[in-house]
Amino acid sequence: MVPVTATRALRTPDAVTCAGLSVGYGRPSLAGLDLAVAPGETVALLGSSGSGKTTLLNAIAGFVTPLAGEIWLAGAVASAPGQCLPPERRRIGMVFQDHALWPHLSVLDTVAYPLRRAGASKAAARQDAQVILEQLNLGPLAQRRPGQLSGGEQQRVGLARALACQPALYLFDEPTAHLDASLRAAILEEVARRRHADGAAAIYATHDAAEALAIADRVAVLHSGCLAQLATPADVYAEPDDLTVARLTGPVSVLDAPVSPAAAGKATITIGAAQATVPCTAAPASAPASAGLAVLVRPDWARLDGGFDGSGDLPGTITEIRFRGPHTDYHVATPAGTLLIREAGPPQADCGPVRWSLLRARLMPSEHLG
Amino acid sequence: MRAAAAKAAAAKAAAAKAGTAKAGTAKAAAAKAAAATLVAGLIAALVAVPLVSLARIAAEAGLTGIWRALSGPQARVAILHTVAVAAVVTVLAVTAGAALALAIERRPARTLPRLLVAGPLVIPEFVLGFAWSQAYGPAGLSDRLARLVMPGLFGPAGIIAVLTVYGLPLAYLAVTAGLAARADPALERAARAAGAGGWTALRTVTLPLLRIPLLAAAALVFVTAAGSFAVPQVLGTPAGFATMPTLVYDDLALSASPAAFTGLTVVALALVVLVLLALGPLDLWLARLRPSARPDAPPARHQSRTTGDRVVSVIVWAYATFAAGIPMLTLVLTALTRGPGLLPVPANWTLANFSAGFSGGGAALLRSAGLAFTAAILAPLLGSAVASLARGRWRGPLATLVTLAYAIPGSALAVGIIIGYGRWLDGSVTIILLAYVAKFWVFGHRPVQAALDRLPPGLTRAARLSGAGSATAVRTVVLPPLTVAMTTAAGLVFILAFHELTMSTILYGPGTETFAVVIMNQQDLGGIGATAALAVILTAPVVAVAALAAWLARRPSRSARPAPRPPARPPVPPSACGSPAAPGGGPWFP
Repeated sequence: MVPVTATRALRTPDAVTCAGLSVGYGRPSLAGLDLAVAPGETVALLGSSGSGKTTLLNAIAGFVTPLAGEIWLAGAVASAPGQCLPPERRRIGMVFQDHALWPHLSVLDTVAYPLRRAGASKAAARQDAQVILEQLNLGPLAQRRPGQLSGGEQQRVGLARALACQPALYLFDEPTAHLDASLRAAILEEVARRRHADGAAAIYATHDAAEALAIADRVAVLHSGCLAQLATPADVYAEPDDLTVARLTGPVSVLDAPVSPAAAGKATITIGAAQATVPCTAAPASAPASAGLAVLVRPDWARLDGGFDGSGDLPGTITEIRFRGPHTDYHVATPAGTLLIREAGPPQADCGPVRWSLLRARLMPSEHLG
Repeated sequence: MRAAAAKAAAAKAAAAKAGTAKAGTAKAAAAKAAAATLVAGLIAALVAVPLVSLARIAAEAGLTGIWRALSGPQARVAILHTVAVAAVVTVLAVTAGAALALAIERRPARTLPRLLVAGPLVIPEFVLGFAWSQAYGPAGLSDRLARLVMPGLFGPAGIIAVLTVYGLPLAYLAVTAGLAARADPALERAARAAGAGGWTALRTVTLPLLRIPLLAAAALVFVTAAGSFAVPQVLGTPAGFATMPTLVYDDLALSASPAAFTGLTVVALALVVLVLLALGPLDLWLARLRPSARPDAPPARHQSRTTGDRVVSVIVWAYATFAAGIPMLTLVLTALTRGPGLLPVPANWTLANFSAGFSGGGAALLRSAGLAFTAAILAPLLGSAVASLARGRWRGPLATLVTLAYAIPGSALAVGIIIGYGRWLDGSVTIILLAYVAKFWVFGHRPVQAALDRLPPGLTRAARLSGAGSATAVRTVVLPPLTVAMTTAAGLVFILAFHELTMSTILYGPGTETFAVVIMNQQDLGGIGATAALAVILTAPVVAVAALAAWLARRPSRSARPAPRPPARPPVPPSACGSPAAPGGGPWFP
């Protein structure tokens, strides 16, 4: 009997498979990367600038040839060393960071361009383009040139152009990088809607953790050209493999506190004179835990009122308070180091001594901190 | 009581301060007005007076006189020749220059091909024409070695070939600047991702984006080819092939009759009208379009070398060897050889040609260097004046006016200057300097204007808020970023003025020959070895300096950055039509 996953793999090949992919010129900007994206899946590429996000997208789109490794698209080899399927034959729709709108074409002709290349007549292509523009509420802008559009409008036109390609795979190269918060939300919304509508796979490069966690089925964390972790948004947030991943996927505090194992899935953490026994997960250690453990705490894993059952009544001092709208950030100095605690609502405590409790923690060998 | 006194004193001080502030702005306004008047006066004196003088002489002849001058057999043929040669050169140079730019600029390792293509620009036209005649002409090097003579070298074909060698880099640089400013590689990628093949992307995206730079390049090449005097003089005159500039020169040099003078004035004016029709409206239009360009497109990503790169390399090397390498080598060999007809082998080598050249042309060499140096100081200063004064509405027209002064063919400008100022300054060094400054002002203006445009707008305001006065602000935050542009401009003007022949041949008098004039006269007399030696002396310093500059420009980036180097984008002149200035930003003279 064949395992279910294998039959699925046989029936519908992955939208993209990168195997041992190395790309670069001189110093490789991607080294030995493995990544598979299932049909209909959205994978967020999360990494700081220079981590290789754009390079990976360019390799998948066929703009650069890999040094080593292969890229498969829908079950066929598209890129290998010395071999590169031209970009126009990859059925990929790409949204560029700087929009990359052609200054000499109107919005309508820009969106009609992929349809023309697919063989439609000028009139038919324009008609279909108009339909796509209406869907994105861009109809009134059809005759404008890119120079006459705002940043958000430009990026929506870029999105419309990618839609017109009717691709099996979307590539988003930080499409919201140059947009302000509200436009960003609108574009994200649009991207999510589109994806549900046509079921194409998507790879979404971003350096914004919140964006990546919100939009993706899985998050691939890239760090200096290597895949640091690949997991669901909840997993990369709750169980980062190392500190780099933890920092890239959201705010995190590192406490230097003695840890001793307790009952199943729990550990006792000593802070100052007090102790807390809380659910803990541990990152895989590459070496025996000789160097000791560090305690990673997300801002929502601690509360400002002490005395919960078993979660401790821990000492600390609030040193800073930052009101951020829906929530408030408290910087708490503890005997084990500075801790960020996030509570809903406006500030409810003042600077000064405070008791706090720990709800959960992530343990990590200290060698991962370096 | 004391408080009130202090208050009164403070109010007084404030009033006094306000008074000085007011006086300060009034002074600044006055200074600005004075400077504006000065610049306007200079433009009028250097550009308007010569043109008006030409028009006045033509008007005195009346319509029938103009018609007679233009429809005379000589003039008609010369006009036809000029237009035909310039048109063919434009087509050839723009096509080849654009193709080479597209092939080279999107690949790694483009510095060397760029230098090879653009190199001929640092060789004086007359020298290259003469070198071609010695290399490929009858009794030339290829004739003696392999019995190969380039058919039609003396005549239209040769003129077109050599002028194309000059036009090609102009087109190449204009397209390169256009590629950098307008054709972000992401735009082509977007087309590829949208389903267009490489050629389709080129046809539907890249070339339409380059339409304006291409048009500008065409206008520039046309103007340069139409106004060229030296190449038709050295390659056309022996075959009896006249163009408008050589006709003007011949009439001026050979005939003394007033009718002939009127005739040549009309021809010169017609030449002006011809190039202004080609260039004027385009430049104004381009100046208006400029803001839509994207000055900071990210560089293309590079990959390792491919077969295509090697093919392009071979083509570029073959072209550079044929167009400049062999002719210039021949020139050096000719200069070193004892007499015409002898084979250039070491047994026949001598330095006699050089010593003869120095003894005859030493004074002229110093004169040329002095003139070029003075022009190189004045042009960037005047250029900065125009760039800083012409703001807002006047910016485009003023820039166009200065550009047009360059576009006016040297023959016409020189005749205009003779008519306008000849009665006081005829045959003096000053009149030659006037012509140089008028002609090369644009090279002082365009790079400085481009550098000014690149400065972020808040610069002086930030300096003022940090406590700098207006003069201090300009001195400390505006001038330093401009020094590179001004140095570039000065170097470029020096080269052009040092090589200038067209206007000098018309304007010089006894005892005021420039070095280029001495060389041309030497060639007229038939002293081939001496001409070659003088030509080498004229060319070598500039080529050496340019090569050194190019080498220096390449070196630090290598040691400092092992990673692929971002392209040294030639600074974009405000409108590519000013691309006389593009060479200024070019890679061989940083």
